[in-house]
Amino acid sequence: MGLKEIDKGMADNQEKTDQEAKIVAFLCNWCSYAGSDAAGTARLRQPENLRIIRVPCSGRIDPLFVLKAFSMGADGVLVSGCHPNDCHYTDGNFYARRRLEVLKEYLPFIGIDKRRFSYQWVSASEGQKWQSVVVNFVKRINSIEKT
Amino acid sequence: MRIGVFVCYCGSNIAANVDVEKVAQEAQRLPGVVFTQTNLYTCSEPGQLQIVKAVKEHYLNRVVVASCSPQVHNTTFMRTVESAGLNPYLFNMANLREQDSWIHDDREKATEKAVDLVRMAVSKVYRHGELYPKYFDINKTVMVIGGGITGIQTALDIAQGGRKVILVEKEASIGGKMAQLDKTFPTIDCSACILSPKMVDAGTHENIELMTNSEVVSLEGSVGNFKATIRKKPRYIDLKNCTSCAECEKVCPVTIPNTYEAGIAGRKAISKMFAQAVPSAYSIYKKGKAPCRSNCPADVSAQGYVALIREGKFAEAIKLHREDNPFPSVCGRVCTHPCEINCTRKLVDDPVSIMSLKRFMADYEGSMGEVPLPEMEDKKSQKVAVVGSGPAGLTAAYYLAKKGYGVKIFEALPVIGGMMRTEIPDYRLPQDILDSEIDVISRMGVEIATGSRIESTDQLWKLRDDYDAVFLATGADRDMPINIGEENIGGVISGVEFLKDVSLKEAGSLKGKVGVIGGGNVAIDSARSSLRLGADEVSIFYRRSAKEMPAIEEEYEDAVEEGIGMNFLTTPVRIIEEDGKLKGVVFVKNRLGEPDSSGRRRFIPIEGSEYTVELDWLILAIGQRPNTDYLTKGDRKLKLTRWDSIALEDEDILLADSKGIFAGGDAVTGPSTVTEAIGHGKLAARVIDRYIKGESLDDIAKDMAEEKSSQKRLSAEEVFTEKELEAFKKEARLEVEKMDARQRTEGFDEVVGTISEAQAIAEAQRCLNCGICSECEQCITACEANCIDYSQKEELIEKDIGAIAVTVGTDVLKADVFGEFGGGELEDVITSLQYERLMCASGPTHGHILRPSDKKEPKKIVFLSCVGSRDRSRGLEYCSSACCMYLAKQSILTKEHIQDSQSYLFYTDIRSPGKDYDEFIDRAKQYGTKYIRGRVSKVYKREKDGKLIVKGVDTVLNQMVEIEADLVVLATAMVADKNAQELAKVLNISTGPFGFFKESHPKLRPVETNTSGIYIAGACQSPKDIPTSVAQGGAAASKILALMSVDKLASDPMVAKVDQVRCIGCNKCLMVCPFNAIEEVQVRGRDVVDVIETVCKGCGLCEATCPIGSISLSGFTDEMIIEEIKAFKK
Repeated sequence: MGLKEIDKGMADNQEKTDQEAKIVAFLCNWCSYAGSDAAGTARLRQPENLRIIRVPCSGRIDPLFVLKAFSMGADGVLVSGCHPNDCHYTDGNFYARRRLEVLKEYLPFIGIDKRRFSYQWVSASEGQKWQSVVVNFVKRINSIEKT
Repeated sequence: MRIGVFVCYCGSNIAANVDVEKVAQEAQRLPGVVFTQTNLYTCSEPGQLQIVKAVKEHYLNRVVVASCSPQVHNTTFMRTVESAGLNPYLFNMANLREQDSWIHDDREKATEKAVDLVRMAVSKVYRHGELYPKYFDINKTVMVIGGGITGIQTALDIAQGGRKVILVEKEASIGGKMAQLDKTFPTIDCSACILSPKMVDAGTHENIELMTNSEVVSLEGSVGNFKATIRKKPRYIDLKNCTSCAECEKVCPVTIPNTYEAGIAGRKAISKMFAQAVPSAYSIYKKGKAPCRSNCPADVSAQGYVALIREGKFAEAIKLHREDNPFPSVCGRVCTHPCEINCTRKLVDDPVSIMSLKRFMADYEGSMGEVPLPEMEDKKSQKVAVVGSGPAGLTAAYYLAKKGYGVKIFEALPVIGGMMRTEIPDYRLPQDILDSEIDVISRMGVEIATGSRIESTDQLWKLRDDYDAVFLATGADRDMPINIGEENIGGVISGVEFLKDVSLKEAGSLKGKVGVIGGGNVAIDSARSSLRLGADEVSIFYRRSAKEMPAIEEEYEDAVEEGIGMNFLTTPVRIIEEDGKLKGVVFVKNRLGEPDSSGRRRFIPIEGSEYTVELDWLILAIGQRPNTDYLTKGDRKLKLTRWDSIALEDEDILLADSKGIFAGGDAVTGPSTVTEAIGHGKLAARVIDRYIKGESLDDIAKDMAEEKSSQKRLSAEEVFTEKELEAFKKEARLEVEKMDARQRTEGFDEVVGTISEAQAIAEAQRCLNCGICSECEQCITACEANCIDYSQKEELIEKDIGAIAVTVGTDVLKADVFGEFGGGELEDVITSLQYERLMCASGPTHGHILRPSDKKEPKKIVFLSCVGSRDRSRGLEYCSSACCMYLAKQSILTKEHIQDSQSYLFYTDIRSPGKDYDEFIDRAKQYGTKYIRGRVSKVYKREKDGKLIVKGVDTVLNQMVEIEADLVVLATAMVADKNAQELAKVLNISTGPFGFFKESHPKLRPVETNTSGIYIAGACQSPKDIPTSVAQGGAAASKILALMSVDKLASDPMVAKVDQVRCIGCNKCLMVCPFNAIEEVQVRGRDVVDVIETVCKGCGLCEATCPIGSISLSGFTDEMIIEEIKAFKK
């Protein structure tokens, strides 16, 4: 491999990185993080755009975390927790749902397309569901024209 | 800051898709990172030693391992870091395997992502601080939920290990599914023989407390210190004294499907689950108070006497009735039968004709000669005065006399019986019938003084001085005025007075046209009586429509049959008189409006619709009021309501004055039914008995109110599911014969006839046994050990425990789910569990295999495996795991039972991966079982000869097969217990997609759950056979014993912490905390909060809620997460 090719590769890579959307995902430790692991164990292919942050419970997520991620340049933010009624901490995900629903409605007021934010429920055994959540969300983010 | 980063190859698992060296290089540049290293397997011993070495050599104070998921190795590496002398919480992981290399193909992008993930992990660990656990005492009692073989094994192992165990079982005996089996594979040893000793051990072990008929309803706390609430349902049997003599079972009239026999036999409502049951005692199955009894104001055990009539035990039936109500003959004729209104049978076809059954047994009693007196207690010195001899007064007198009190009834009229005598005409209730009921009460020693009217309260208080208590039951016999100028006009009479005259034979004959105003029973009785006295034409005028009429429907129909004219939606306006005599009445027509507070629609007069009807007689029967004038006279008056009824001080105990005056019946309720009055009489007798014995009125009132609320009163709608209701065969309701309408009006002979014994038994067979136990009390009489106690109540019991093993097992699908195989339709298509019972010596056929339809020995038996299991169309993709083996066993046993039989076995794949399992399958083949690989599409009955035809495909020979079968056995799928989901919620553990409990790790933590301190074992985790279940039970026991081997447990230090200087005491955290781990405290006079560290579970809800950021979750603080967010992009 000559120097020229390396340069070209680096340039391509540079271009690609510019295009690749980066998505921050907050996952609860008990259901969705384990679900994402389950998808990995089953080798379920996913786009590379996600950067996952593990939190104990979706109820731990301060809506400001989501805004912080956007302000740091995230193209999308995804939150996922245990299914309603299946929270490891009994009802943390119900609090999450209220807070995040309000947040979603609030996003357009600060100039963020609310399609860039989504919250989902994925259990520890739903590896396949996690895969489809990621694939669909990345598709959605990529379909939004950059502003 | 000196951070070391260790990037793992994980063999080729990570290295295949991620440039591990590049990741390490990039990490080297991150702020704070002073050391990086790559390892082939970081989790291996050399890998871990490298970390220890690096920490020591490079004075690292933070460690990041970039390898697999923290779910896999977080604890491993924390221990490594700790062994290197660092606080284990100064550690973080980056997940490069499950969330990177394993899911991406693009090496460059995956590497870039890995670099990001490491950067994020490093940024977070930068903020990590040292954390130290707290230690707390643990409770060493263990609760095992589910008493099948797994639960028994778990309980015994833990008990052997020296810990106390509470074994909670929802059925009346432990044993579970294994107790239902005949033999077990692969040894063919008798199931009961190996299970029973274990059951007995569990029942007698000094460390095991058995709680049967019990379910866990709630759980608080956490590992080491749980508090469970257990609902213990009543057994209605005193466990200690029951000797299992079976006398009760012999007399019980109710048979229900036997769940232990998998539904192929019946069991009595009082029965022992099976011969070897532990605890070895009987048990009564009761859903609650049957709907009929629940709706009876007199609380008569209707299901009880119906059940006894069904068994031909007429004498017992009437005896039972007499205990609940001393007026069977009266109520069998005039009751408004609320029991039938709430009869569940109405949801199938028509209600059971309970009232005609009552009438039948009363007539039966009458035909047997003098009615025997009830058992009476010894005479007491105290006396009670009863005012009024109507149904309320007589009933109170009956029960008080039974208790041994001296009772005297004061009756104003010259006749006894109140409204039963004076208001209900002979054609409905013959006077001699009433006489015979009153005769019983007189013979019991009750003194009845007729013509003794109480005129004022002075007299009443005098009575109170002479007696120990007074019961006022003076009825409601005063007509309500109608105010259309009816006073002092010849030919206008009051309904009540008219009926009284008729009863006392003082009424003359009536000629001409009679009009009756009103729509109640008095109106109809007046009209029908007028007809019998010779009236030419009788008409009823009612202001609303037929639907709103309060009269009993049958009475209305009889009246119409007899030719009484019905005029609806009409109100009399004024009377037309001539020489002080009635000439006619002007009416106005009405229309119906909105319903009023009673639910009946209002009537609205239509203007200008007046019309005149010429009448010779007008009978006014628009309602009555209590005649309570006597209570308004004298010095110490009693309070009345605005409807002239007696105002009670306490309704629950019918208290009119706390000085010992009680009141009931119509005098309190206003005009109501005989049965309602009997109910009041019964209640009054119970209350007065306790009052005289010196109990405080408050105590009695409390007990009565509690009794009312604690009884489970069933309503017709809640007894059966719709599916169950559909399964009942429709049967016509009994039609009782009545006298011909024309003949009836000739005189006052009784209209409704009695029914035959055969008719009564047939009608009683229509009863659906709603309450299961009919409360017929036969067992109480039969039990010599006196151990039956109907009054037992459900209890909620709290238990403190340190750990829990869940071993609730599995359910097996019933045959009726499988219509394509004729399940539920064809009698000779049964489940393998049912077949097990047919083979078992303790089963309903005593171990002779006799097919259900004709009780003949089947010669050709076809076994179907994978019925429901491995069937995507039913949403059950999984294998039920034990069926291949037990079908082989059943086919072998079939050959041993019936030498000349031939078994066929359809299978999908043979799954026999256990010790001696495959050899066992071979043995079945040697026994001649024909194994056919393929599925069955259909089982049906061939029309011409009624043979069962099993139609399927042999996929080895690739051809269709049809087998004529005598019996078809379905190996139906094992499914999650129907209560598993609910239990999972109570215990806060997870279930998988099929409802089985989810283990913490499928390979490494198979009996743990994600809630520490709660373990699972056996078939509740996934379908299992006995050997595996027992092994898991033992595994759970050893895990629990290990947990209990220390006196103190370390709490996870990743809990919330309050900055009490900044806390403003808004208590928002306190409100959201799911575990009550936050408490209010005072610090230097300020109200702030604090976290109870051993209770906090570290969810962080509080931190996300705190408006000023004064509470933070160690290990996941806002700062840490924000650092991580800031680092996701270079």
